[in-house]
Amino acid sequence: MSPLAGHYPLNCWYVAATSDEVGRGLLGRTVLGQPLLFYRLRSGAVAALEDRCPHRSLPLSYGILADDEVVCGYHGMAFGPDGRCVRVPSQENVPYGARARSFPVREEPPFVWIWMGHPATSALSDPPALPWLHDAGWATFGETLLVEANYLLLHDNALDLTHFPHVHPGLSPTPYLGTPPRLEIEVTETTVSYYRDFPPSPLVGWQVRTTGLPQDRDHAQRESGEFVSPGLHVDRMHVFAAGDGGDGAGSYDKILTRAFTPLGPRSTVVHWQVSRNYLTGRPEVSELLRDVHRATLTADKRLLEAIQARADSFGADAEFNVSADVAGLRARRIIEDMLAAERGWQPTRTPAPAVR
Amino acid sequence: MSGDAVYREHEGDLVVVRRETVATDVVALTLADPAGGTLPAWTPGAHIDVVLDEGLTRQYSLCGGLRDRTSFRIGVLRAPDSSGGSRFVHDGLKEGSPVRVRGPRNHFALVDAPRYIFVAGGIGITPLLPMIESVQQRGVPWTLAYGGRQRASMAFGDELARHGDRVRMWPQDEQGLLDLPAILGDPRPDTLVYCCGPEQLLAAVESQCAAWPPGALHVERFAPKPAEPEATADSPFELVLQRSGLTTVVPADQTILEVVERAGISLLSSCRIGTCGTCEQEVIAGDIDHRDSVLTEEDREAGEYMMICVSRCRSERLVLDL
Repeated sequence: MSPLAGHYPLNCWYVAATSDEVGRGLLGRTVLGQPLLFYRLRSGAVAALEDRCPHRSLPLSYGILADDEVVCGYHGMAFGPDGRCVRVPSQENVPYGARARSFPVREEPPFVWIWMGHPATSALSDPPALPWLHDAGWATFGETLLVEANYLLLHDNALDLTHFPHVHPGLSPTPYLGTPPRLEIEVTETTVSYYRDFPPSPLVGWQVRTTGLPQDRDHAQRESGEFVSPGLHVDRMHVFAAGDGGDGAGSYDKILTRAFTPLGPRSTVVHWQVSRNYLTGRPEVSELLRDVHRATLTADKRLLEAIQARADSFGADAEFNVSADVAGLRARRIIEDMLAAERGWQPTRTPAPAVR
Repeated sequence: MSGDAVYREHEGDLVVVRRETVATDVVALTLADPAGGTLPAWTPGAHIDVVLDEGLTRQYSLCGGLRDRTSFRIGVLRAPDSSGGSRFVHDGLKEGSPVRVRGPRNHFALVDAPRYIFVAGGIGITPLLPMIESVQQRGVPWTLAYGGRQRASMAFGDELARHGDRVRMWPQDEQGLLDLPAILGDPRPDTLVYCCGPEQLLAAVESQCAAWPPGALHVERFAPKPAEPEATADSPFELVLQRSGLTTVVPADQTILEVVERAGISLLSSCRIGTCGTCEQEVIAGDIDHRDSVLTEEDREAGEYMMICVSRCRSERLVLDL
């Protein structure tokens, strides 16, 4: 499958926005190539409609929100949160079937998830559970980053650990710079996950500064990650404090949650969140971690955008693979299978007889 | 960087949280993480390996609710000619018994279509249950013809009853064999047929669907498809593992899987008899001699993938994306 294709499974929950972005105004935002409109109802629930008036196609986001209805900025037609047209100012009745498409939405702060597939099938699955994003024992901050590259390139990058010492040498945990330990990759029908255990070794500067652990001691580390769905990748880093009795109390856990939401074939929004279970009341630790993650994500963004440009010129089929690419290739296969199921049964149609 | 990586399927240590006799000689087991954790997501048609005992692994379709993320349900028939799997489940697994599972995986995926005909024979109903839940939710038309020896031996009939006319129960002692010409009707370009059951039923459905458009029929086998007689003995061939940068030879008396494993490459495999689909590999070049029970005729013609536990190569050289 070429990353140029830009196709994304529809039957999947994607993060459309963060909770703080959706309020009592009209938020126009493209998701999977479709212009959408988001707003918050008086009840607090989030509504998602196609951002197009079904009458004369003006973006509904050009209109206003009145009560729980969107009023189009062209002829004043009003639409309810389910997309149904409820008022046409120039006539008494509303035409039958006049409605803007609406989409199932679920909000699990900090994320607002959207289902772009068949609306009824959304009831058969839930957005991935990410308890650390709202549990009291964790401190979390997040940002949004636009990457001008296909979302498959972002998954490749997230599932690929071998680039780390080459792209982020100053920030890599020290064991990366020697011979890395064995990578354990585990797959299911829908997921790819991996972990590796680093033997005790000194922490690099940013790890010392953000954990407060002594630099002159060796600490074991475990790194793990998971392709959860086409819309989500989660990475974990555990630092086991030297001298910990092994009861887990000395485990410094940091989770990088990345929601990848394709905007279009060459453009992906990354909603990233960093959570930690240590020093949770220390905002300066958040700021240090923010700088580290901004640096790595920005460095990857620069590379991925350059890769997308080359893929546009040469075609991605011109690439070769190595053994270490197995996790990324498996994720692509999962996505490919999802796309094949959605493309569905394409029967050969008998052409209709010509009208005489 | 070393490319040292171990590649395997997810394994979980679950326990039987519920055991119900759902028909004569059929038990339904509900398996869950003893710690109450979430289980891997799966889609209709998926199955898991159940590791029953040292060296004894069996595949069972998942037949629980699609929204249930904390348990797996399987239905197991006590087969009279059981090679040990179903006997172990029936006699050995009680509520509270630990069970190791591998997967899920899916080689019987539900493809979107405007209309479906489901045909089940006996315990072959299991993978069709989640498919029915899915298409019912989507609101597309479907029917199920469910054959079995007698009504009492047909599991999950009570769960299917709520679908009314869409489901036709077909106990052999009351109504004879499934009337496939009537069930399937004339070939329709908008309909997919999903069938699971004993070999006899699959063969009959395959023959009845011969005139249907290619790709319309999807089947899943419990046991290897009966082998076609070999005209000649197996020959050795050269094997190129492109990604790994290795070239080796597959001798006449060894499988590709064995040779690849011996080369030290970590890859997935499970049943080793061509029914589970786990060892599927992408083929770059070579004239594939397909011997599995997973790939459809269309898949075989496309020649993109092969099951390396049983299939071989007719040409002198096979190149795999491995």
